Amino acid sequence: MTKNTWALALSATALALLVGCSSMKTPATADVAVSKAAVDSAAGAGGAEFAPLEMESARTKMAAANKAMANKDYKLAASLANEAQADAKLAQGKANSAKAQAAADALQDNLRVLREELDRASKTN
Amino acid sequence: MKNLYTTPLALAVAVLLGACSSMPTNTTLLDQTHSDYRMAQASPNVNRYAPLELKQAGEALARADASANDKDKPAKVDELAYLAKQKIALTQQVANQKFAEAEVLRNGKEADQLRLQQRSNEADAAKAKAAEAQQAALMAQGDAADAQRKTDEARRVAQEAQTRNMQLEAQLADLAAKKTERGMVITLGDVLFGTDQARLTPEGLRTAQKLADVLQQNPQRKVLVEGFTDSTGSSAHNQELSDRRAAAVRTALAGMGIGSDRVATRGYGEAYPVAANDTAQNRQMNRRVEIVLSDETGKTVQR
Repeated sequence: MTKNTWALALSATALALLVGCSSMKTPATADVAVSKAAVDSAAGAGGAEFAPLEMESARTKMAAANKAMANKDYKLAASLANEAQADAKLAQGKANSAKAQAAADALQDNLRVLREELDRASKTN
Repeated sequence: MKNLYTTPLALAVAVLLGACSSMPTNTTLLDQTHSDYRMAQASPNVNRYAPLELKQAGEALARADASANDKDKPAKVDELAYLAKQKIALTQQVANQKFAEAEVLRNGKEADQLRLQQRSNEADAAKAKAAEAQQAALMAQGDAADAQRKTDEARRVAQEAQTRNMQLEAQLADLAAKKTERGMVITLGDVLFGTDQARLTPEGLRTAQKLADVLQQNPQRKVLVEGFTDSTGSSAHNQELSDRRAAAVRTALAGMGIGSDRVATRGYGEAYPVAANDTAQNRQMNRRVEIVLSDETGKTVQR
């Protein structure tokens, strides 16, 4: 009984360690879907134009994730999908930032022209 | 038999524990990610505009650190570090975006302000121009009224002059004035003087009075009074008589308020007869006083 108890305790510890040190091999379908949505959204925001590097990286990783899914390597698929999502979000952030900056620059130009007109008007009056 | 089971199990546990308990995993990417994170944390714009993204990046970095502390394989740590690194990069982008958007808002307000100012300037300018135009119109109106007044005045003066001229003509006609190349000439006949005398008869005085009226109404005009006789008697006597008769007219006019400076006299004796001295009637015609009326500037033409 005592020996059995020892063996059982050891077995439980080994199992716990095994579980603790290795990741779970659940299907990564949800991760891949969310990442695909992020990539599509980034593409719609002009990611290819404003952040070609991040966009390319996201697309490549998405393709690889899909391939891993097909190979039933769910762990790899989830990792790749997560990275693709991070890349896509950064690409979208860059696109948004570039567009906002362009709008700010255009307005700054308008403002300059307006100021010049006012200056001219006040000089001629 | 008991040891046969226990030993491999204990060994397996020892190996697993050993694998899990070495020094924390350290990778270049994780170091780099820490450096990026510190920079993001130090950025005022990131703190102000992207606090949520910074928090999420911090959490991702904490997961990578936890993985490293758990002595995971470098590949696993790098995977988590990469996710954190991208999230950190995103904070800067979001901060830039929000900053630009705030700038758009701020500049948009200023642009509105400037446009408003521009419009009010234009309105002011238009108002000033309108006032100026009105002023000019008023002045033009004043000028026109002025011109009208001047025209009216000129017309009135012209009318007065015309009236005066007509009056003068009528008076001269009454005096039987004749138009000659020397101007209007009034002849006072012999009958207006006493025989061989320089005194004017009452009839002569009446004629002189008419002439005085004309001179009073036309103060710019002067007269030249010329005396003539017939050829009877000595030349000296005739000369003296013609002088005296001309002077008598001047004296009479002076008595009627006409200054002597406006009346010049000249005696010609028996010279310049208007008829032959052969009959009594002709001789009477030669005994006369001629009065030459000056032009409007006071000039007379002497014989």
